[in-house]
Amino acid sequence: MSVVLEFDNLHYTFPGSETPALCGASLRLEAGCRIVLLGRNGAGKSTLLLHGNAILRPSAGQVRLNGAPLEYTRRGLLRVRRQVGLVFQNPDDQLFSASVLQDISFGPLNLGLSNDEARRRVAEAADLCGVSDLLDRPTHALSGGQKTRVALAGVLAMGPDILLVDEATSGLDPWMRQQVFGIFNRLVERGATVALATHDLDAAQHWADTIVIMSEGRVIAAAPSAQIFGDPELRALLGPGREWGDCL
Amino acid sequence: MRVIDRCAFGNALRPIDPAQKGGLAFLAIILCLALDRPAVGVATLLWMLALTTWWAGIPLRVFGRVLLTEGLFLCLSVASIALSIGGEAPGTMIVGWKIGALWISVAPESLALATLTLTRSLGCAAALNFLILTTPLIDLIELMRRVWLPEGVIDVMALTYRAIFVLLDSLERMTTAQDARLGYATARTAMRSAALLAGQLFLDAYRRNQRMQVALESRGFDGTLRVLPLTYQRSPRIWQASVALTASLMLAGMVG
Repeated sequence: MSVVLEFDNLHYTFPGSETPALCGASLRLEAGCRIVLLGRNGAGKSTLLLHGNAILRPSAGQVRLNGAPLEYTRRGLLRVRRQVGLVFQNPDDQLFSASVLQDISFGPLNLGLSNDEARRRVAEAADLCGVSDLLDRPTHALSGGQKTRVALAGVLAMGPDILLVDEATSGLDPWMRQQVFGIFNRLVERGATVALATHDLDAAQHWADTIVIMSEGRVIAAAPSAQIFGDPELRALLGPGREWGDCL
Repeated sequence: MRVIDRCAFGNALRPIDPAQKGGLAFLAIILCLALDRPAVGVATLLWMLALTTWWAGIPLRVFGRVLLTEGLFLCLSVASIALSIGGEAPGTMIVGWKIGALWISVAPESLALATLTLTRSLGCAAALNFLILTTPLIDLIELMRRVWLPEGVIDVMALTYRAIFVLLDSLERMTTAQDARLGYATARTAMRSAALLAGQLFLDAYRRNQRMQVALESRGFDGTLRVLPLTYQRSPRIWQASVALTASLMLAGMVG
C-alpha cells in the first residue's frame, strides 16, 4: 500500500516549555488503513497529529504528504487541510457557530467552493454522520455525542483523504462510540486513512489494522494489531489493560 | 437567557424570514412613537402579546416575565416623571404628601406625561420582545449580514453568542464542583469561591479561545468566518398582520 502521510524524524518543543513534545518521531500512514496511536498522557500523540494538519511546524524533521514535503505557505496550507482533516477531543473547541448547518459549511467554503457545492457537501457529510435531522438545531442544544458527530461532519465535509482524530471518541457511551467507529469504517471503505489517538485498548485491539505506540515524543513501536497484542513484550508497553490484580 | 433562547428556537414563527418579523416589530415601534398616544401604546402591547403567544405559541408566562422585568425598570423611571418635589404646595395636584418642609405631589399633567411614557415604552418593549422571543440570535445575525454590516462585527457577534453558552456550561460545572466541596456553605466561603470562580473562568475562556483558534485553522480559517446563508420561508400572513396592525394603531391614535 502507498504511504500517504509520512512524519520523518520530527522534533518540536512548545514555546515556553523546556521539555520537547516530539524528539525524533517518525511514522508512515498508509492509504486505506485504520491506525490507532496509543501512549501515556504527554507521549506526543496530539502534537504529532497537529503536525499532520500543519497546525504546528516541526523545528527539525519533515512531514510529507503523498511524498511531497508540506509547504507552509497559504496555498500549501489550504492543500494540506483539504486532504488531511483533524478532529479534536472536545467538540466545543471546534464548533464555533451556534448553527449546526453553518458550522459544517465553514470548511467547504474555506476551500473556495460555491454555496451550492458547499450545501451538497454539508448534506452528504451530515448524512454520513447521521446528523441530517440536527442541521436546524442550535449547537448549544446538542448532547455530547451529537456534538462529536457534528464536529466530525464539519471535517468530513471538506472531503479529506486522511482523517486524524484526537481522542474524540473518549467520553462517548458505547452506542455512540459504535456509531462513530461505523463512520470511520465507511470512510476506510471509501479508501480514506483514519488515524485515531486514544487510550481505548478495546478499540486498538478490535478496530485497528496498525497500532502505533508513542512514548516521550517518539514512536517506539508500530505494528499490526495482532502482533502487538500477541507479543507479551509489546503488549506490556500499552500499560495495564484488564489486569486488575494489582489494583484489587 | 436560556429560556428566551429555547423559545426563539422552538416557536411556530422560527422558520419565517427574520426580515419579515423584524419589519413587523420595527413598524410597531415606529407607529407607537409617531402616533404618541397612551391608547396606541396599549394597543401595540396587546397586539404583540397576541402575536407572540397565540401565533408563535410562546407561553404567556414567558412573555409576561420578560415584560415584567422591563416594566419594573420603566416604573422606576416614570415615577420620577410623575412625582414632583418642592418647598411649596403645588397649585393643582391629584395627590400630595407633606414631609417636613417638602411637598411630594403628583400633578395631572405630570401623571399624563408619565402614563404616555410608560405605555409608549411598554408598547415598544413588547414589539422588541416579540422579535427576540420568535427569532434566535443566529437569525438576527443573518439579518445583519444581509444589511451589509461589516463582516468583522458579524463574526464577533456570532462567536460571542456561541461562547456565552460554552462559558455558561463551564460556569455551571465549576460552581457544582465548588459547591460539592462546601464552597458556598457560608457567606465568607461563598465570596471566596465566587472570586476564585471569576478568575478561573477568565483563564478557561482564554485557553478555550486558543484551542478554538487552532480548530478553526485546521479547517482552513484565513481571517474570515465563511458560512452558508440560512434559508427561511416568506409568510404572506406577516404582511396581512402588518396592514391590520397599522390600521388598528391609527384607529387607536384617533380615539386617544
